Amino acid sequence: MRIQLNGIKEIIPEEMTIKALIEWAKEGDPHLIVEQNGKYIYPSAYDGQAVFENDTIEFINPNLGG
Amino acid sequence: MDERYVRQIILPEIGPQGQERLARAGVLIAGVGGLGSVTALYLAAAGIGHIKIADHDSLEPSNLNRQIIHSEAFLGQPKVISAAIRMKALNPTIRVTPVQTRISSANIDALLDGVDIIVDGSDNYETRQVLNRASLRHGLPFVYAGVRGFDAMVSSFVPGRTACFECIVTGGEAPSGRGPGIVGPAAGMAASFQAMDTLKLILGIGKPLENRMVCIYGLDMRIHCVNLISNPQCKACGKLYNPDKRI
Ligand SMILES: [Zn+2]
Repeated sequence: MRIQLNGIKEIIPEEMTIKALIEWAKEGDPHLIVEQNGKYIYPSAYDGQAVFENDTIEFINPNLGG
Repeated sequence: MDERYVRQIILPEIGPQGQERLARAGVLIAGVGGLGSVTALYLAAAGIGHIKIADHDSLEPSNLNRQIIHSEAFLGQPKVISAAIRMKALNPTIRVTPVQTRISSANIDALLDGVDIIVDGSDNYETRQVLNRASLRHGLPFVYAGVRGFDAMVSSFVPGRTACFECIVTGGEAPSGRGPGIVGPAAGMAASFQAMDTLKLILGIGKPLENRMVCIYGLDMRIHCVNLISNPQCKACGKLYNPDKRI
């Protein structure tokens, strides 16, 4: 299915959860921030939260430099 | 009307009363590195009455690509001294208190005496955790920013009104060696957003970055704003935890 991930159109496997998408994208940051269609997703919800066709998803790595 | 501030006093959102409010305000800038260099200059120029700057570091050559409040002549000197001299040169009418110290849970309460807003100028998770807990304990807004590479993010965490820093950022690696690569304008953009929100929070105008986090991707010139919500399980502000507990 087609989604928009961090502003870029991506084709990803069907029936994915946020957790699976994080693994698919090889996103390794344990402190990742996830937003799905403008909504912040709690880390505790990654496993149960499904990804749908045309979703807009942002993976945000917290920046801690200064 | 003070000529120095005329271009902001003529704005209806500020006016003479707003300028008075800025003059009565106290701000802590927690670190005068890439972020604090820029917030310190803008907030000094805007006429914040009392600015405390806290940093334990001395100026190193590797700071100078982005920490534009400092100059080469101050290499090896405490950053707070270099910054305070520059701020007073820019605006002698304000009070600047330089404190050369490593911010910790042991000294943060004393640093916040007379302070209305905490402006993040730190470069690691632990210091931000100390600032966040102090923000919750004292009910003071915490204007966070972080930078890496060409990217930056900014949000204002206001106790009682928004999620807190630890609701959203659950941890981070301690900086190793000289820290991550950073280009100056990434720090400058984040710090300019922080200075803008600090002025708005003091003046009570506009829409501060409350429960919103601006993410700036410098390489793509893309800006994204994330809507944030509190985490009921947050270790700092969640109901199960005691915000007065020190870390
Ligand atoms: Zn929290």
